[in-house]
Amino acid sequence: MKQIPKETAAVLVEVKGISKGFPGVKALSGVDLTIRAGEVHALTGENGSGKSTLSKVIAGMHRPDEGTIRIDGEICELETPADAIARGIVMISQELTLAPTLTVAENIFMGRLPKSSWGKIDWSRLRADAVQVLDRLGVHVDPNALVSDLSIELQQEIEIARALSTDARLLILDEATSSLSEAATKRLLELVVQERDKGMAVLMITHRMPEIYAVSSVATVLRDGCLISTVPIPQTSEEELVRLMVGRELGDYYSKQDIAPGELVLDVKALAAENGTFAPTDLVLRRGEILGLAGLAGSGKSEFAQALGGAITARGQVQVAGKPMALGDPRATIRAGVGYVPDDRKGCAILPVRNIAENFAMAWMDRLTRNGLISLRRQKSEVASAIQDYGVVTASADTLISTLSGGNQQKIVLGRIVRRQPDILVLNEPTRGVDVGAKTEIYKMLQRAAKEGAGIIVISSELPEILGISDRIAVFFEGRIVAEFDGPTADEEAIAHAAVAGVKRHPQPTVTKETEV
Amino acid sequence: MSTKPKSGGFAALVRRIFQSRYAGALISLVLVSVFLSIYQPVFLTWPNMMNIVKSNSVGFILALGATYVVISGTVDLSFGSATTASAMAFGLLLVAGTPLTLAILGAIVAGLLLGFINGFLVAYAKISFFVVTLGTLSVFQSMALVVNSGTSVSVFSVPGFSALNQFVNGNIGPLPVLLVFNIVLFLIAGGVLRFTAFGRSLYAIGSNIEAARLNGINVKRVLLLVFIISGLTAGLASVVQVGRLTVASPNVDMNLLLTVLAAVLIGGTAMTGGEGGVLGTLIGMLFLGVVQNGLTLSGVSSFWQGALSGSILILSVWLGGIRGVLRAQKQTQLE
Ligand SMILES: Nc1ncnc2c1ncn2[C@@H]1O[C@H](COP(=O)(O)OP(=O)(O)OP(=O)(O)O)[C@@H](O)[C@H]1O
Ligand SMILES: [Mg+2]
Repeated sequence: MKQIPKETAAVLVEVKGISKGFPGVKALSGVDLTIRAGEVHALTGENGSGKSTLSKVIAGMHRPDEGTIRIDGEICELETPADAIARGIVMISQELTLAPTLTVAENIFMGRLPKSSWGKIDWSRLRADAVQVLDRLGVHVDPNALVSDLSIELQQEIEIARALSTDARLLILDEATSSLSEAATKRLLELVVQERDKGMAVLMITHRMPEIYAVSSVATVLRDGCLISTVPIPQTSEEELVRLMVGRELGDYYSKQDIAPGELVLDVKALAAENGTFAPTDLVLRRGEILGLAGLAGSGKSEFAQALGGAITARGQVQVAGKPMALGDPRATIRAGVGYVPDDRKGCAILPVRNIAENFAMAWMDRLTRNGLISLRRQKSEVASAIQDYGVVTASADTLISTLSGGNQQKIVLGRIVRRQPDILVLNEPTRGVDVGAKTEIYKMLQRAAKEGAGIIVISSELPEILGISDRIAVFFEGRIVAEFDGPTADEEAIAHAAVAGVKRHPQPTVTKETEV
Repeated sequence: MSTKPKSGGFAALVRRIFQSRYAGALISLVLVSVFLSIYQPVFLTWPNMMNIVKSNSVGFILALGATYVVISGTVDLSFGSATTASAMAFGLLLVAGTPLTLAILGAIVAGLLLGFINGFLVAYAKISFFVVTLGTLSVFQSMALVVNSGTSVSVFSVPGFSALNQFVNGNIGPLPVLLVFNIVLFLIAGGVLRFTAFGRSLYAIGSNIEAARLNGINVKRVLLLVFIISGLTAGLASVVQVGRLTVASPNVDMNLLLTVLAAVLIGGTAMTGGEGGVLGTLIGMLFLGVVQNGLTLSGVSSFWQGALSGSILILSVWLGGIRGVLRAQKQTQLE
């Protein structure tokens, strides 16, 4: 039941009958996809449905087991990414691929550094070119800055800049917006539209419905490695699209429950980062309460979470359930009853060369150990039930975590902390890269934790998510909390305004500044 | 870890061995052994086999410590110097009339202390392990030279020493003491890696140090401990070495250094940390020992042995790299 929109534009890339297997998994079976010049084609589906694998096949990173790829009508064997790039296919992959010790400019033009006579690198032109590309993206960052010093969001934008600086005819964005804030996402989507109108084709992988409807004209849905359908957008409704993705109705998306707030569980007084990313901040949290932190990238919301999690050094007083907590030491944080989930999955959360079981058990080491010895039997049963509870799709607990799809990795990273049942959960972008179905599972997980008495702080760049799950919302701007909203009655625009302007918008335009804590 | 019944059991085991990270070393070991058994009849005799074990036991003890260090994602370049310094301490203690057991204890404590210095500088002073151990490589060597003005200490005639000499050259039943000693150390080392929180933390730190830290692993303590273990193996190795040679030499045996690190890497413990184990190191060590033995039996000048072990190291890590690439294409990696 395929319903391909009647388009007149030339077919740029056509894949037919693509199959790809990995040991123990069939990632793709007989998938067809047609991408036309000047079209934004959304590719969507649950975690592990094969989206990244399909785009890697098109970008020359995986050889398909079966099937053909035609570019401009001609059958091509793409052996390496370079083959694809030579034909104008450029991919931004889900995980960052920058060289952290090089500068922004060097990363953007990696492998294509401008040379002057004698083969010497033309540094001034490199810088000028980099500034130009960055300006197109609206990113303000010093081209001489080291990539390792940048936030995840900026790194993602550098990655996008790199792709844009090539003369791409097909740009593949694999969840490129998942580490971007609302504003940066908007800029990227505007850019996508601009390039589309100039004739570029874009294959956009995303779990976010609004993005699909904002820019794409056609969407392809995969499930379990099979093509479910290719449908026109916006003629196909959101409910219909979700149903195609998960194969059932989703029901109550955020499963928000009314939980009466309990006693005070977190009392933060004048907490400030040693590195100055946020000013002294006060905050309280009650048991059963979900507090959403909104704000632009660089507003300090992420660093505030890191400070609570002990990931960075900080000053101030933090009391958890009435007891003071030492700062800057993750071990003290865990002992005090705070569970922290970082946003940088690859850099700070997973053990890439170890299996699923060890990645779970790392967070439970203290509880699985008696007299220094780990109980492998208990580990095995705990891991087995965690895999069940959090819906990790895998053949076995011995699978290397780096071979799982991004969303499944996230379920492990999140699940291992929630399972400890801490008094306070600090979750930095908990649903990054997670599909709609799994998101509802995560929201349910949070509701359950809240009901059991945990206080929860969720940092998210997705405003609808913040609005959907929070009892209370605090907005960060330039290192301070500038506004607070009541979750159920807050509206998206007011929050966005506070995040961008640093003030709470007021009905009367005469009031210029009001700061609330 | 599939628990498939009966028929699949053996095939599954073979498959697992072939997919393991030490498959290359194991296959090479078998091939070289078969070749030598055919062309050098002496090779397959019991005395020759036990000779291989004895002459590599100092290296193997050190390689166990080095395996721990490499798994943690760091490297200890100084273990050879630490062994030499401990050996000198041992020799001087004996000559000064210290009772044997106390002198042995002294050598081990010396090794522990040197390891502690490395570990403290790396874990708590946060200096790069490369810089620290490159520095102490030279410092420990220098100390070994200074303590006796650069000359060896012969302990052959020290009363009481002969007990150690007889012990390390002796047998327990049909088995050489050193074989039994090495097997015991191997089992302990393997057990600690697999069954203790410390062992699991080692892999976690080697794989992603920030993830380990954020999940409550005491990174500093584990790193300190891993260097102390490296020092402990240096102390133990120095006792065995002096016991066998009856002399403590102040000069580091470069060939030993190479053999130890080569055994670890050939055995599939990745330089990048987080992967590997002592079984691979055992196989790597046996392989290098057998090759060296084969050269000796064939009457090749010992001057060639360094060239050969060095080339084997490069070749095997290269082949390991190829295997890694093949595996990456077939499954794993990326995302
Ligand atoms: N290199 C690999 N080795 C083994 N299995 C793999 C590999 N890459 C992907 N897989 C498996 O193939 C399936 C499809 O994965 P893929 O990454 O394409 O999913 P995805 O649709 O991109 O998911 P997500 O939304 O979570 O990113 C998954 O089951 C995954 O575990
Ligand atoms: Mg993916």
